[in-house]
Amino acid sequence: MSGETGIYILMAVVSLISTLAVYMAVVEKDLVKAVIYSALQSGLYTILYFLLLAPDIGLVYIPVAVGLIPGVLLILISKTERWEKE
Amino acid sequence: MEIINTYLLSVVLASLLANFVISLYAIFFKPHYIKKIIALTIFSDTANTFAIFIGYRRWINQNPSKVPVLTDLNPRAVEEFAKLAVDPLPQALVLTAIVIGLAVILFLVFLGWILYSHYKTLDMREIRRLRG
Repeated sequence: MSGETGIYILMAVVSLISTLAVYMAVVEKDLVKAVIYSALQSGLYTILYFLLLAPDIGLVYIPVAVGLIPGVLLILISKTERWEKE
Repeated sequence: MEIINTYLLSVVLASLLANFVISLYAIFFKPHYIKKIIALTIFSDTANTFAIFIGYRRWINQNPSKVPVLTDLNPRAVEEFAKLAVDPLPQALVLTAIVIGLAVILFLVFLGWILYSHYKTLDMREIRRLRG
């Protein structure tokens, strides 16, 4: 029973850190850093999927949300502009 | 012990709701196009996580759940499996939603590139001023 509580503690910590990463991604003015914070949030969600007993979702979600989407967004940033104006 | 487990799962639910609210705020009120795309990816991921969270079924069976992989085909084992395993239907739906979301994000990225080549900026306030 205490192993179950340990899993729930890990889930709570991971989701709280992901909220912090989302906040940092939203308030950040440098878009490259915002994309990196978004990739951090995706990695934490992958851990959450594994803990919620959906490992197949985790296996699909890692290459899409940590690899492909930040890569494409970084290409777009390099073609356009990097800083968000106030 | 039970109340601690329920409290911890409520913390997970509350932080997912906070992610929803923050990403919706960013979609509507942040002026930069790429920031809107980033917030849209966070929003769709949070919606998918909600579906997985409902499929965890802890609110129904009150037992530690199992991964939805059936290894034994004997009928009694199947009955036990249906009682204890997490729901595989949201997982299948989320798998499809992730791939469709990737296609939508790629479309929006190329739209942003064309937008920049037309207006030389991606700030939505500037684009609204320059239009027409």
